[in-house]
Order: sequence, then structure tokens, then C-alpha cells
Amino acid sequence: MAAYNKEKVLILTPVSRFYNEYWQNLLRLTYPRELVELGFIVPRSKDGDLALKKLEKAIKQVQTGKKENRFSKITILRQDTESLQEQSEKSRHALKVQKERRANMALARNSLLFSALGPYTSWVLWLDSDIVETPPTLVQDLVSHDKPVVSANCYQRYYNEEKKEQDIRPYDYNNWVESEQGLKMAEEMADDEIIVEGYAEMATYRVLMAHFYDSNGDQNTLMELDGVGGAAVMVKADVHRDGAMFPPFPFYHLIETEGFAKMAKRLGYQVFGLPNYLVYHYNE
Amino acid sequence: MGYQQLLLQRFTDPSKNKVPVSVLGVVVALFVLYNLVLNLAFEHLYTPQLASVPGVEFYDLGDFQGSADGWQREERILFCVPLRDASAHLPMFFSHMKNLTYPHHLIDLSFLVSDSSDDTMDSLVKHLREIQNSPDKRLHFGNIEIFEKDFGQAIGQGFSDRHGFEAQGPRRKLMARARNWLWTVSIKPYHSWVYWRDADVETVPPTILEDLMHHGKDVIVPNVWRPLPDWLGNQQPYDLNSWQESEGGLQLAKTLGEDAVIVEGYAEYATWRPHLAYLRDPYGDPEVEMDLDGIGGVSILARAKVFRTGAHFPAFSFEKHAETEAFGKMCKRYGYSVIGLPHYVIWHIYEPSSDDLKHMEWMAQEEAKKVEENKIRAVYDKVWAEGFEDVSEEWKNDRINIFKNTDTHKIKPIKVDWSGVDVVAKNPLVNEKDKDKVLAAFDPNS
Repeated sequence: MAAYNKEKVLILTPVSRFYNEYWQNLLRLTYPRELVELGFIVPRSKDGDLALKKLEKAIKQVQTGKKENRFSKITILRQDTESLQEQSEKSRHALKVQKERRANMALARNSLLFSALGPYTSWVLWLDSDIVETPPTLVQDLVSHDKPVVSANCYQRYYNEEKKEQDIRPYDYNNWVESEQGLKMAEEMADDEIIVEGYAEMATYRVLMAHFYDSNGDQNTLMELDGVGGAAVMVKADVHRDGAMFPPFPFYHLIETEGFAKMAKRLGYQVFGLPNYLVYHYNE
Repeated sequence: MGYQQLLLQRFTDPSKNKVPVSVLGVVVALFVLYNLVLNLAFEHLYTPQLASVPGVEFYDLGDFQGSADGWQREERILFCVPLRDASAHLPMFFSHMKNLTYPHHLIDLSFLVSDSSDDTMDSLVKHLREIQNSPDKRLHFGNIEIFEKDFGQAIGQGFSDRHGFEAQGPRRKLMARARNWLWTVSIKPYHSWVYWRDADVETVPPTILEDLMHHGKDVIVPNVWRPLPDWLGNQQPYDLNSWQESEGGLQLAKTLGEDAVIVEGYAEYATWRPHLAYLRDPYGDPEVEMDLDGIGGVSILARAKVFRTGAHFPAFSFEKHAETEAFGKMCKRYGYSVIGLPHYVIWHIYEPSSDDLKHMEWMAQEEAKKVEENKIRAVYDKVWAEGFEDVSEEWKNDRINIFKNTDTHKIKPIKVDWSGVDVVAKNPLVNEKDKDKVLAAFDPNS
């Protein structure tokens, strides 16, 4: 329907590492490419340069190939702010590092978004560079729900040693519904502190979408969310044009994609998740 | 000393052209050396070769950070103008635009026409055509985009409608949405600066962009005043949205609900904040800077990276503020510098309030009355003067001339016998035909 209406989709990916599987999956998407624009941002670092070179090669191949296979536009940016030094004492300051890392990621996402967003863009798909497998109809599927923000459930394929077979497990815990405990923690925090999921010292008892996957369930099942991750999120362009962005500072004690969900809600938009619609994260 | 001598030689003896060549050589050598030092000092980053690949663009955002002397570095400005029923202001606005000293080809204009019932769009296009088709190429601006989108308005656009206390919150949120829509669709990776300007500014230096830019701040605003009629005191601060946060303001914010919006300049919210507008000294140094927390939107210069990294005009209550004031607050959360210039002033047009209008109507009526009165008085005076002309002075002179050949001694004085004149006749009706008539019995002496 969206394709029939010639609605333009902007697919945005911050790339700190280039995964060929990501690129191959992107090329498998069936939404008409003349309606698809791509946007990438690489960090200002050696890693960024490496990703940039690989990206350049991949892009050249597509854009100089058959005309009907080309994307309508591709924007590549190098981030202006210096990327963070790789921290060795990760375990000691994990939470602090997490905050800085996500603040920097928020800056990268915003710079990419607002450089690439046009007046004619109808949808923005945030697709992380380590998402290596999605249904080829990802764009059509997410758009069909016609929601301001809708997030897929991010899982990972792995080899289950117990079952001795390939299996899947939840990966991204940033899609959640707020809890009493979460609100109470936020209330007691200092202004510049953030709550992040996945830390034992910070038990929020939030309802996590990752745990709601039902392999027999309808993949169109929707649940309303308060926080989203960035793995695969479809956003109506007007939500971003209204100012909903990824806060690099604690916004209601939330940052980056989770802060974005909160800001969208403050602007009067509803945020949804698809617990039974899976996309897969890379596994080393 | 030696260099000066060389230059002198060059200008005094044109036959010797060896000197400029050697100067050029030195310059080239210096340039090469400078580049070498740069390459050694900074990590060299990879630049992809994508120029010939269709539909692909690469930008290093580090190249578009915005410098204090951007006009000397070919830095592009995105010039955003939100318009609403602004047709009447456009001739004035474009007269300012033509005079801008910042190189016009580096200025990309972006207009948003919304909720207008006048001919703003036609007028805008007409003015832009005129500039872009002008034979003087220096007048031509860079890229121009015009957007038309309505955001709805709960309230009218009259000064009193817009500036009433109750209307402020919802109004500011709508304005914020319009502003966000405009910049999010028009900012490009190659913009170094973003300038916001209202169309209804009456007096502004043509050097406004350079004047604000050379401070090298992330976000900077001038002081905004407006002229007033004499009977209102000649001038007045216009923009009270530029302020520094105060203890009073923070205290007040704590007492308000999540969706409340504090607006300055209303008795309902006493914040005791220092306002940029009131700190103006007409003789003060225009370079003086003041740290701000909230800012007004009449004229904002910001580094493009401020917007690119996501700072925007909140269309929701952000730290109990909305739109431009909340933009200032949000920029502070990012750690960006937000500065106002108390003694550098631009002048907004004067739009009378409804009280002002009432007073002005009364003044106009009084004026009309006075004119009418003066007209009547003129006629009256003329009739009076003609009817009761005083000739006694003339008679004094005429009398001498008239009587100069007359022996006045021989003129016998005429004697009039006035006796009995005051005695009322019993029957003054002496006519024969009236003799039967009888006076009413009236005797003034009785």
C-alpha cells in the first residue's frame, strides 16, 4: 500500500563495523528501491575509516550497476565529534561507559537523521548495522501497522549446547513497558543519572518485549511500549519532524532510543512493539 | 623592514618584476609547509571517491562546524523564516535581505508559509523572483526552498490574541512544531550555520550575520526592542523570552505540573529572572555578552551542529518551557553556549495592543473633534469680524480729513429734546385705524 502510494522510506544505519550479512540482508528487502533512500554515519576513528572503505565498495557495486537496482539516494556522513576511546576497564565503569557510549550514539543518530531527512520522506526505518537477518518484506510489514513508532523484536541465533541444535534467544532488552519500580527509581535519582536495562544493580521489573515472543503467535500482534531499542524501528517521518530525536542527555532518566520513545510520547504519539516479529542480531 | 622595502620597490619600480615572483615563492613554500604540519599533527582520515557514483554523497561533518569568520571560509548558512499572514511585512523584510553583507550565494533561504489568509505566498514568490532575476548577481541567494503547511491555530493573530497569558502555552507549542518542521526538512550536511529570523523586524544592521557570528558562540541572539508612539514613551523592550534562569524561576518550575509552560512577561508567573531586554544601555558596548538560558526567536544565529545533533524547539513542556525558550534550555543540556548581546539591538515593528488601539481611537476622535471645532470657529470669527468691525481708529483719522476744511465753530450743535422719552404713553397707538385697540393693562411704574 505504501509502495503503491509511492511513499518514500529513509533507511538509517549508524555503522561502526560493516557486516556483509547486514548489507546482503538490506539488498534482499523487496520495497521498491526507487522509493528508498539510505543514510549511513561512521565514527571519526580508524574503525570508522575501515567501515567507510567497505561501505564505499559495497555502495559502488550497487549504484554503478543496473539502473533499476540503484537506491534513489545514499548519504554517507562522518561524525564530527571524536569517538570515545576504547575503554579497557569496562567492568569497573560499565554503567558510566554505557552512558557515554549511548550519548555519542544519540549524537550520531541525530546528525544522520536531520542531515538525510527530507520534506518528501514518509517513513524512517532505523536499522542497526549488526542486524543481519530480517524478513525481506521488513519495510512493508512495519509500515502496514500505520503507527507513529513501531519496533520489531530483536533476537539472536546461536548454537544451544544443551539441546545440541541451532536456537534463538532474546538480544535487545530496550523495548519495554514502564513499571512502578522503574518510575520510583527515576524519581529518586539525581537529574543527570540514567536507567538502563540489563544491569543487576538496577532491577526495574519492567515488562520486556523480548520475553513476549510466542513462536506460534500472530506476527502482527502489537503491544504498546514506553521504551524502544534501535535494532529495527519504523518511525513516521512527521514524528521526527515534530522534534522527536534521540536525547544525548538524560531525558526522564532515559537516553538515546529509550529517550526517543519518551519524547515521542511527550509529543502525543503512541509507541508500539511487535513481540512476534523477529529480526536477528549478528553473532560473533 | 626588508619586506616593506621590497614592497616599496615593487610599487615604485614596475620594471623589476622579480620581487613579486619571489614573494609568491615564499607564500607557496609556507602553504606547503603548513599542510605538512597539519598532516603530521592530525590523524589523516580516509575520504571515499564517490563523486562519479550516481546518487551518492559523502560529507565529513567535521568540515561544517562553523567558524567565527565563516564569511571568509565560504561557510553556508541556512536562513529560516517562518511566515504567517506576513504579506504586509515582506517589502520591508526583503529590503533588509537585499542589504545583507554576508555573501548572498552562501545563504540558503528556507521559508515556511503556514495558516495564512492573505497573499503571503504570492508576495513572497514575487519578491524572490525580483531578487533572483536581478542583473546584479551579488544579490542572488543560494538555494531557496518554500514550504506551505498549515499547523492550525487555536487563536487569532492579533497582537492581543497572541500575547494574552492563557493563549501562550498552546500557541508556543504550535509555533514550535512549525519551526521544527521547517529546519528538519531543510538543513543539509553542508550547512555550517542556521539563522532564524522573523519577517516583522523593522530596523536591523545589514551586517547582522557577521555581527552575531564573529562571537563564535553556539547560539547567540541580539537584544530586541520596538519603537513606540510618543505617548507611550518612544521605545520599549520587545522580546522578553531571552533571560537567565533564576532561583525564583527554578522554584516556580517545581510547583508546576508536567505540562505547564512558563511564559515571561506575565504577572501570573513571577520568576525574577534577569532579562536581556532590560539590561540594555543605549551607550553600552555592543560586543558585551551575557549568558542566557531561555531565548526569543526573532533573530537566532546557531551553529548548524546544534540542530544537527538534535537540539530543537520543544513542542511539549521541556523543563516547564516550550519553543524558543525551551530551545535555549535544551541547548544548555547539550553543553552548548547560549549568549545574548544586551547592547546590540535590532528593532521589531510596533503593533499596537487592543488597549493601545482604544487609546489611539480616542486620540483620533479627539483630533477630529478639534479640527471640526477649529473649522466652526474660523467661520464664526469671520462673521464676527465682518459684522462687528471696529472702525473707531480709522474714524479718528478720517474725522480729521473730513472736517479739515470745515469751520466746526459754525456748526450748531443739534439739540435733541429727549424729555418725556421715558414716560410711557397711556396710549401709544396713535394710528387712526388702531385707535380702538387697547393696550393690555400694564404699568411699569405701578
